[in-house]
Amino acid sequence: MSGHAVRPGEGLFDRISNLVRVILRVKDDLSDEEVEGLLRALPADTRRNIEALLNPRFRRESILFMKMIGRWVVEGEEAARDPRRRTILVPFNFPPEVIYVFRRGFPLTCEVLTTLGVSMLEGQGERYWDYAMGLGVPDFLCSSSTIELGSILSGCDFKPQALVQSAPGACDANSKIHELVSHLMEVPQFILEKPTEGGARGKELHRRYFRRFISQLEGFIGEELDEGHMREVLEAANAATDLYYDFYELHKASPCPVPNIFSLFTYGTRFTSWGRPDAVEMMRAMVERSRRRLEAGDYPAEREVARCVWLYIGYYFDFLGFFNWMEERGITYLNDVLSLCQPMRYDTSSKQSMLDGLAEAVFEYPMTRQMGADSMSALWVEDMSRFIRDMGANCAVYSGHHACKQTQSVIGQVRGEINRLTGVPVLCLSGDSWIRRMTPTSVLQEELTSFVDHVVSKKGKRGRRSEQEKTRQRQGG
Amino acid sequence: MMDLKKLASELPNRYVEEARERGTKIIGYACLATPREVFDAGGFFPYRIRGMSVTRTELADAWLSRFNCGFCRSCLQLALEGAYDFFDGLVETNGCDHLRGMFENWQYAHPRDFFHYIRVPHLTNQDSMDWFVEELELLKEALEKHFEVSITEEDLLAAMSLQGDIADKLRRVYESRWGDEVRVSGGEILALMTLEGSAPAEDFSRLLDEVLAEYPSRPPLKYRARLMLGGSATDEIELVSELESVGGAVVADSFCFGGRIFRGEEPLDGPPLRRLAHRYLYNLMCPRMFDDYARRKAFIDDLIERSRPDGVVLFHNKFCDLHGVENVKLRMDLEKQGVPVLTLEKEYGAAADIGRLKTRVQAFLERLGK
Repeated sequence: MSGHAVRPGEGLFDRISNLVRVILRVKDDLSDEEVEGLLRALPADTRRNIEALLNPRFRRESILFMKMIGRWVVEGEEAARDPRRRTILVPFNFPPEVIYVFRRGFPLTCEVLTTLGVSMLEGQGERYWDYAMGLGVPDFLCSSSTIELGSILSGCDFKPQALVQSAPGACDANSKIHELVSHLMEVPQFILEKPTEGGARGKELHRRYFRRFISQLEGFIGEELDEGHMREVLEAANAATDLYYDFYELHKASPCPVPNIFSLFTYGTRFTSWGRPDAVEMMRAMVERSRRRLEAGDYPAEREVARCVWLYIGYYFDFLGFFNWMEERGITYLNDVLSLCQPMRYDTSSKQSMLDGLAEAVFEYPMTRQMGADSMSALWVEDMSRFIRDMGANCAVYSGHHACKQTQSVIGQVRGEINRLTGVPVLCLSGDSWIRRMTPTSVLQEELTSFVDHVVSKKGKRGRRSEQEKTRQRQGG
Repeated sequence: MMDLKKLASELPNRYVEEARERGTKIIGYACLATPREVFDAGGFFPYRIRGMSVTRTELADAWLSRFNCGFCRSCLQLALEGAYDFFDGLVETNGCDHLRGMFENWQYAHPRDFFHYIRVPHLTNQDSMDWFVEELELLKEALEKHFEVSITEEDLLAAMSLQGDIADKLRRVYESRWGDEVRVSGGEILALMTLEGSAPAEDFSRLLDEVLAEYPSRPPLKYRARLMLGGSATDEIELVSELESVGGAVVADSFCFGGRIFRGEEPLDGPPLRRLAHRYLYNLMCPRMFDDYARRKAFIDDLIERSRPDGVVLFHNKFCDLHGVENVKLRMDLEKQGVPVLTLEKEYGAAADIGRLKTRVQAFLERLGK
């Protein structure tokens, strides 16, 4: 379908909405035979990702996740139709609970919609990307936002009532495409800048920006924030946060009991549903599944060869060939910068404490925290080194999404520093995380295999040999 | 006229040599958001970092990736080769993601003793303005402390006054192309504008006096069409000259190495740093500023109205998100107004790209019926 103009009803959001309404009718658990039947009915692009999700190792959690996302999409669409409510398109580097604290506000997250389109629709997101290119948008923009926004630009898709732009200072590509859509589609935009200065002075300015931003949203949504509703939302966020840290701890066991794809589910949940009971249910389900696997010693490969922290993001156009393929070869995906989001508990004692907590959450949100800092490399190195040590990782991978000019500009330093501080080797890949045309799965798999076989495994053997030698020396041998 | 292009292509140039002999401290900066008056007031020589159309970037590529803009990679290459070792200090601004990366790698791989970061807001409102005033105060304090100098209000006012005179003179040369007869080429103007950032204020003022005395006696240039240029950081003098060689006289531009140097008037009252902060923040005309498109568009409309180009050529350097997206909206808006627009993506400094770009401009001139 790629290359066709987008016609009414063929927008990315509209197609996703139709699909998730079907998913919402699916049983909470499916037998292998039912999965087999379902997969036969799906077009090829969709089938590969749904097949990955419906793997028996985590099928129930996948269905729960898909239904959570399904309810989120449907409610966003319905909120947009309700004259009393406002559906606001937010970027991934913005906590959705900032909008959920408004009774009448509803956040739809741009990059999550792109990922849904890429992973669930036939033809993935290519036609919407191509549409944006046809308008003259440069091909080095970020597909994570340009695919969904390209669909909006076609004028044939669901249109949000406002946009939030929260990347000025942290990501030019994200900020500019949001600005363009706001201008061309005449959608109001609310801008929240994060000052690069990370100390008290920068945080104070950010709080002032945040108060101005909330006041603008109150005017637009037509609702003054209600302390009681804020508390309800933020306590639900706290419950999910508590489970997040239980979940985090489970990653430390080796072999890792957490399925690779749960990393994606973590930020899918964080970016869409934090502050809703759905997020609590999803986090709990992932914790329980991982605990059961830990207790049973389940691991899908003979042994865990590589414990790998992904320094930035992953690839989202082929779940089967990416998350599951790695897991079945003993390569554990120990989170990435997005799933290592380290949410904070909100102090819900007063309206002011909650507002300050929300401002802090925006300030420390993944990617904004690192790339929006004084130094793009310093916090990134610090955070990732800590996670590598904490998780007992033996390697790290940078996916090299080409549009990430900030990470691309400092990865040379970051690779060296991480290697120096933690001793783990870092593989730098290159590809578009949402568009398969740039680097196909097979190439990524070859590079990963080569890295694991020739660097990680050998390093592990060398390390073990050296330990044995030291032991022999200690024993006088 | 003296060979401005030659003078602008020297690194280091004669002004740097003279400053070194005098013992003047030279501070490197890259972005128009850096108020050079603060350096002038302290007796420094603020030198604006350029890529000098360098295309061999193997040293820089070890740090920045091939997905970063060529301008920043070229600047970093020169830094790592030692071409900017005459700097006594370096001042970073968060102009764009690439520029941040360039500075971060520069300071990591080839550090300067004095390094200061001016954090420029992306919005124009009272909170941002107050912040930027503080940032300029911090810059002043950092310079005073490290170099043991004192920068007084009187020094600042004198520097602002001198820069005001320079802007008046520069404007006279720049706007001389706005009549029917064009006597100074776009390439020469770009050379002059880049020299604004690579000569001490007094020297540049004297250079402008020479130019003003000389250009009116030159014969008018022959051209097929009048062009305005705009887009990403462009200090590629040869590129502009080559494009003019096919018959397009460049009569105006909105480059940060060009027309954007003429910042608006500063407020007449208030402490000097506040006046400077206002003037710089509200007149950057750079797509890094958000919620500010209307002001940028008005700036370009004004340039078009006064310089009367037959068409506008908008460039973006490969991987420049800011201008790459901005140019989409600008093209649409200008075309709606009936202004012919050509948008071109260029690889910074690449001589190999010039042939392709010339062909596109030739075709554009034909489209203009010229």
